[in-house]
Amino acid sequence: MTFDFVEPVVFALLAIGVIAGGAAVVLLSRITAAALLMAFTFLSMAGMFVLLGAETLAAFQVLIYVGAITVLILYGVMFTKFSDRPRALFFQRQTPLAVVFVVAVAIPVALFSFSFTSAPPRPGGGDLSALATSVFTDFAFPFEIASVLLLAAMVGAIVLTGRDDPEEAARRRRR
Amino acid sequence: MPVGPFGIDPLIWAPLRLIIAVGLALFLVLNGALLQIYLERKIQAIIQDRLGPYHVGPFGLLQTFADALKLISKEDVRAAATDGWFFVAAPALVFCPMLASWVVLPFAQDIVGTNLNIGLLYLTTLGSMTVLGIVIAGWASNNKYALMGGLRSAGQLISYEIPQILALVSVVLVVGSLSMIDITRSQAGPLVNVLILPFPFLIYFIAALAETNRTPFDLPEAESELVAGWLTEYSGMRWGTMLALSEYGNVTVVCAIVTTLWFGGWQGPGVDAIPLLGVLWFTLKVYAFILIMMWIRATLPRLRIDQLMSFCWKGLIPAALVNILVVATLALAFPTTKIPIAIASWVLVVLFVAGIPFVQRRRLRVLRARARASAAPAVRAVS
Repeated sequence: MTFDFVEPVVFALLAIGVIAGGAAVVLLSRITAAALLMAFTFLSMAGMFVLLGAETLAAFQVLIYVGAITVLILYGVMFTKFSDRPRALFFQRQTPLAVVFVVAVAIPVALFSFSFTSAPPRPGGGDLSALATSVFTDFAFPFEIASVLLLAAMVGAIVLTGRDDPEEAARRRRR
Repeated sequence: MPVGPFGIDPLIWAPLRLIIAVGLALFLVLNGALLQIYLERKIQAIIQDRLGPYHVGPFGLLQTFADALKLISKEDVRAAATDGWFFVAAPALVFCPMLASWVVLPFAQDIVGTNLNIGLLYLTTLGSMTVLGIVIAGWASNNKYALMGGLRSAGQLISYEIPQILALVSVVLVVGSLSMIDITRSQAGPLVNVLILPFPFLIYFIAALAETNRTPFDLPEAESELVAGWLTEYSGMRWGTMLALSEYGNVTVVCAIVTTLWFGGWQGPGVDAIPLLGVLWFTLKVYAFILIMMWIRATLPRLRIDQLMSFCWKGLIPAALVNILVVATLALAFPTTKIPIAIASWVLVVLFVAGIPFVQRRRLRVLRARARASAAPAVRAVS
């Protein structure tokens, strides 16, 4: 008795999880539900990484996207004043335009990916030291560029949200 | 015929060890929580010169069993304004990552759920998932105290995750592996990692207290300020799952990480002769750290939220970065010996411990000067 049928089944479940979760994130009007479903989508994608034999990437996926980014989004949602319209559609107001874009992008991508003829990925990508070596030698420059980008985003966020509170300024002058 | 560990046929041993590991995990999670609540109450009673529980059973040993039965038999109450599915899902979201992290804890030589080659990364990953459940619980309760507790918890857990992971990384740098088994194996004999890397241990232990919401970092459920924080709206077994099982389970996981990384895990006298003795050593070491956590709880007062944040971002994270820089440089410069790393780490410990009173005195001086300058009766919070 072999267990060859398990892998396609697991893949199908994960794929349904990713696609349904992603669609629900965009379509749901409750923003907390959308955030939680986003975490679910990220978890399904981590499952895909495990299926491909890249456990390290899966762990980082969960650590960063579920453990940090989703929580920060929820944090932001809770600090935002939206009690007057808790179920408003914030971002999805361009449905016709979005449909056009999706069709224009999705059809070529689908055609391209179905004509893909490379060998299936080999398992065994869980080697952390090989990954670390390539990140810090061959890809050191992109790595640094990405961190500079994040730093710029952080400084920008601080500048954008810094308020000129007269009370605060007066208190600082008193000090 | 190939012979596995303990002279058992590997074909039988493979499922048998899984059963033993799962049984141990469930035993330690369920009964461990009961035992730890009893210990917590008894130890705090001793420190505060009280008796603690003593009516039910000998020495009050059955008190927490009675409490658990009460929790199970309670009616499932839910406020009408709570957020349906989220409210129900939150305890599961807190509990599941904790239970899943028991898979990689090495109880003894071959008694471990699975030997993941990224075991430590897996543990930190699952530890970071707990936050999501807590935030959702705070949000779904639709209660301002619960929401405040959830927000505090999110800020605290995300901040303290950073020094925690940085401290773990320095151990991985020295040992050269993320597998819990390999890390334990690397510390055979009396030379355990805490003698080589005491500074990351200090950072990790402080950050772990915050990660498990233990005093002095128990702001998310500060009883005197927030009723019960994010747990306010929960009762019965939902509360029991969240607080008792998840919290004490997490405490045990964290103590198991400390034991494995710094104190040699299952290794101890007589383990080579009788491998099962490792379970005893491992459990004893883990419970020693749990007792230290309880001792700290009975000793230290709670921090204020701004003190908590500034301690993490201005104290622990720079210390962890300095530590990782020093360890990485020395590991690269002296690949054969660990003595320079040990010396540097002990020097850092001395500097850290000696530096705290110095910084504290300077802070007090600034505070007093500011209070005099503004001539205000109330001393404002310093950041």
